[in-house]
Amino acid sequence: MALVNMRSCGRPGFHLCLRAYATRPIGSPRKREQQDDTPVFQYVGQHRKPQEKVFVWGFSYTGALGIPSFVVPDSGRKKPRKYQLTPYRLDTEQKISSAACGYGFTLLACNTKDLTKLWGMGLNKDSQLGFQRTQHDRNKSYEYVLEPSPVSLPLLNPQETRVLQVSCGRAHSLVLTDSEGVFSMGNNAYGQCGRKIVEDEVYSGSHLVHKIEGFDSRVTQVACGQDHSLFLTETETVYACGWGADGQTGLGHHNKTPCPVPVGGDLAGVKVQQVTTYGDCSLAVSTDGQVFGWGNSEYLQLASVTEATQISSPRLLPLRGLGRVRQAACGGTQVAVLNEEGDVFVWGFGILGKGPKLSESAVPERVPATFFGRSEFNPSVKVSSIRCGLNHFAAVTDRGELFVWGKNVRGCLGIGKHDDQYFPWRVTVPGHVKDVACGVDHMVALVKSII
Amino acid sequence: MTTQAVRLFRRMDGLFAVYKPQGVHWKLVRDTIESNLLKELNSCPPPAPQLAVKFQLLSSGANNGSKDLILSPSMLPSLADHPLVTGPQFHKVHVGVGHRLDAFSSGVLVLGVGKGNGVLEHLCRSHVTRDYTLEGEFGRATNDFSHTTRVIEKTTYDHVTQDKLEKVLAMIQGANQKALITYSQMDLRTQEAYELAVKGLLYPHGKSPPILTGLRCIHFNPPHFTLEVQCVNETQKYLRKLIHEVGLELRTSAVCSGVRRTRDGPFKAENALTRQHWTADCIIQAIAHFRKTTRKIRKSGMHGQTAGQLNSSTKIQEQIRSQIGQSDQSQEHVELSSPTSDKIVDRVTPGTG
Repeated sequence: MALVNMRSCGRPGFHLCLRAYATRPIGSPRKREQQDDTPVFQYVGQHRKPQEKVFVWGFSYTGALGIPSFVVPDSGRKKPRKYQLTPYRLDTEQKISSAACGYGFTLLACNTKDLTKLWGMGLNKDSQLGFQRTQHDRNKSYEYVLEPSPVSLPLLNPQETRVLQVSCGRAHSLVLTDSEGVFSMGNNAYGQCGRKIVEDEVYSGSHLVHKIEGFDSRVTQVACGQDHSLFLTETETVYACGWGADGQTGLGHHNKTPCPVPVGGDLAGVKVQQVTTYGDCSLAVSTDGQVFGWGNSEYLQLASVTEATQISSPRLLPLRGLGRVRQAACGGTQVAVLNEEGDVFVWGFGILGKGPKLSESAVPERVPATFFGRSEFNPSVKVSSIRCGLNHFAAVTDRGELFVWGKNVRGCLGIGKHDDQYFPWRVTVPGHVKDVACGVDHMVALVKSII
Repeated sequence: MTTQAVRLFRRMDGLFAVYKPQGVHWKLVRDTIESNLLKELNSCPPPAPQLAVKFQLLSSGANNGSKDLILSPSMLPSLADHPLVTGPQFHKVHVGVGHRLDAFSSGVLVLGVGKGNGVLEHLCRSHVTRDYTLEGEFGRATNDFSHTTRVIEKTTYDHVTQDKLEKVLAMIQGANQKALITYSQMDLRTQEAYELAVKGLLYPHGKSPPILTGLRCIHFNPPHFTLEVQCVNETQKYLRKLIHEVGLELRTSAVCSGVRRTRDGPFKAENALTRQHWTADCIIQAIAHFRKTTRKIRKSGMHGQTAGQLNSSTKIQEQIRSQIGQSDQSQEHVELSSPTSDKIVDRVTPGTG
């Protein structure tokens, strides 16, 4: 700002000072070049791809959430966090394509050709996460794994094989690969790992990862029940092994089965597209949209076809009004199916999702679509996948929102409170939920960011 | 005997909607309306002046001879009621304003005249939703969230696509729907709460922060985009901040270049009076047009007070809202024969639910 002092009058001793400032007068607009001088920031490039993230919540003391500072705090001032009531981001090295929650442990799989394809965290007392070598003694294995740790598989071509799917039961886990079949690890007291039962076998600290044989073709889907395992092969037949006291293996008897055997009953000759189990009841969905069930029926899961409390052979469930069923999910005492129109039907025992009054039902009850966000503004919202934990349900809509309801066991619903949820409630997750895995007291969500 | 002005004044009782232009303070609109009404009232021809008996000193008449002044009675107009003496007859008309609009926004502004002000209070206390159209522009962030104030930051926006915008809006709407139920202050573990939630009638009765009950993008042409919002308890600054937050979620910045209220409860923009029509005739016509609506709002408000149950009156308001919402939607999707903005469902007897 230059100050120019001019003398307008020549007479000495008296001058009329006229100061002209070089700033602009008030009220005149700023010139355009000055306005456009501000730098333009670029936060995101034009071709940025969305990021894949993993969120976990629930009971953390087993280590199943994979965040060690919840169990063993970093600094002395912090307290251990027993329940993580809202989704918490879990940092993973690779993009996780499949996740499974067992009873107190979690498996995360990445379908990469790298050597490390599988990470596990949580309870490892039965070596359900494989052998986790301790730092100080190379012959001992950790009983609680607090951080996602690599699980080694005895692959013939570790640089070619990809892991497609993982599944976890009470104390065993199954890993499905694309070219080398199914691997199992963990407890085999009932033959659920698909190998011969060894009396008094010590499972803790075991190095054994068994490759399951006995299938007629490639396995396309695995499902773990509490102490049994189900396999779906390429020829659309179902195999089962493990504990059968409730008939959950569906092999016509109530004994243990150490090796996978094809399931008969009403499923003989039927093309199956999906099998599901988590407790002691098992369901299969055929390619033409029919539902078959076997196993425990104490909670009216299969009451539509029989009054017996256990069915040892698959039976077609004569359910009407469901339409064409696309996906089914089994919990401990409750069952849910999803049809082609995106409607969810629930039945069984427990908190079913239609208010506190409905605590058990033998016939499928439709959960109103208004709970999943369908309104006048969005009339076409549909549920795209449905999952069951032991006492709760989770539904993912096509808009990427996650809804949960059921018993809030140790904060597993992720809604920020300890109360049970009697109708579907949105879980606030920062992103688009792609898939979710439900356990007994914790959950894992695979989320894609929006930008 | 009532004069024309008084008859005109008695017809000015009720609610009507006005289209407030942008850049004008709402108080100016209210004052203009009031002065227009007063002008009309005071320009009515005054009644004929009353005649009063006056004794005047008049000259005796025909005989010019005598210069006596005789006191003679005659009927003369009394000047006591002359408008130049008393001043204009009307100097105040009570014009009240419903939900206010700030100077930057435009749109439907509900005003009440005379006895309508009481009904206006019922309308304000009830929880009707309001529809807005928000114009946004990517690339700039200003200190006031509007496009005229000082620019703080400029960002690129070439990575923004319509489906990313839709995803962000879906996330925001999801959070707001959750807030709608959370602030309803009902115990969610009861069967009653479940029943209301199924029907979509679970929403905040008392105080709540601004909640958007509906949000969608109706036009996208980068850098410009237009959102349609349906909200409760909002302020216009909050809506401009919403545009800014949409920009932040998309990792860019956005400013709001226009806020336009298209509906306030049962009053829609089609029935709002524009500036040329802010005269007494048009206003009285508008009041007559909204007479049914006004009556229903008054009845529902009074019913809520007498019944003493907040639930039933707000249930009715919600039914009004949902009916309006449904009539909106049905107008958009299907050409139905009847639903209009004024149609409100009948009263529900208390004791249900």
